[in-house]
Amino acid sequence: MAQYVYGIVEAGTTKPRGRGIGGAPLRVVAGEDAAALVSEVASGNVRLGRDEILLHADVLERALARGTVLPMRLGVVMSDQQEVRSRLLDEHGPELRAQLAEFAGKVEIRIRGVYAENLLMREVVDEHPQIASLREAVRGESDAATYYSRIRLGELVAAAVQRHREQDAQAIVDALASAALAVEVSEPGHERVAVQASFLVERERLPAFDERLEEVAADYGGRIRFKYVGPLPPHSFVELAQRV
Amino acid sequence: MSITSGRAPRSGYVQRSTSSGLADVLDVLLDKGLVIDIFLRVSLVGIELLTVDARIVIASVDTYLRFAEAVNRLDIGSSEGEGLPQLIEDMTEGGASSKTKGVLEGAKESLFGSGDEGEESGDEGEESEDGGSSRRSSSRSGSGSRSRSRSRSSSRGRS
Repeated sequence: MAQYVYGIVEAGTTKPRGRGIGGAPLRVVAGEDAAALVSEVASGNVRLGRDEILLHADVLERALARGTVLPMRLGVVMSDQQEVRSRLLDEHGPELRAQLAEFAGKVEIRIRGVYAENLLMREVVDEHPQIASLREAVRGESDAATYYSRIRLGELVAAAVQRHREQDAQAIVDALASAALAVEVSEPGHERVAVQASFLVERERLPAFDERLEEVAADYGGRIRFKYVGPLPPHSFVELAQRV
Repeated sequence: MSITSGRAPRSGYVQRSTSSGLADVLDVLLDKGLVIDIFLRVSLVGIELLTVDARIVIASVDTYLRFAEAVNRLDIGSSEGEGLPQLIEDMTEGGASSKTKGVLEGAKESLFGSGDEGEESGDEGEESEDGGSSRRSSSRSGSGSRSRSRSRSSSRGRS
């Protein structure tokens, strides 16, 4: 039967309690260097809705509470347990063993900073006389009359926001990276995102990381609001060499 | 107010969660983690993945007009917080978030039900329901028919 693979755990990990996608019991496929956390799924096309995605995340969270887990990307389905053993665990054994050792006791924390729009807009206006005066010029005029001026105004604001973002993102990442082992920076998801990054942090250093984040957040004084997600397994930091 | 020794006072500007919110983890589950490409055989149902590259959103005329609007709304001495009307506007017009690419097929309807991810949507405008003008499902990956999506680059630093 087809096996949905959630992640890689240490060799010798005992079967966890609980169920995975479709209510199937969680199982462990054992290899020499590592083991795979799996559950049975129907063969053919597996369909994942929001519940299944949340369940995948939940299975990983439970595994993380028990030990090290290298998370699979969403949607890894293999033909049967034999294939899990040979194509995943045996073929990539040494690499998986090495990463299990590397990530033992370490978790991922995802940080997003979002600008409070009114505060950001006020700063932009205060800092750029050109923006302030163009803003005055379009005020109170009809939308039709000011269409191109408004585009120009917005363009100037967008450029100013981008400059803020580059500065702020760099400062925030630097401040937090000093309390972490590694960082992976992502592109912002939309125009009010100041920073989006994942940090690899040792569990026992989480309080220090948290404290640093609070300091940074206090420094920004509400101009940027932060979202902290974690502890997560190290999604952003694991990798498997692809064989062609 | 006394401060517990060894702990920084809470700034009040950090919202914390575990992975329980879908918007928090969807992009990392889809884009990151271990993969053996040939084994990805799932289709996502009930999910419309918003795959507009952030740079496109930032550079669009719509974005400029929204910024002009935001700057015009500012009055000297107006309140600093985001009002509810602004949040709703952000949710329905705001930029897209997930930047997925690759092998998973997308389906038609929106993943995010109305309002049930409300605790996260306020700041971020991620949960566009019938949202902005540009989006496609990821099943078109590689077809090139909707040219607005570009691959995302991320920088990785290890100390």
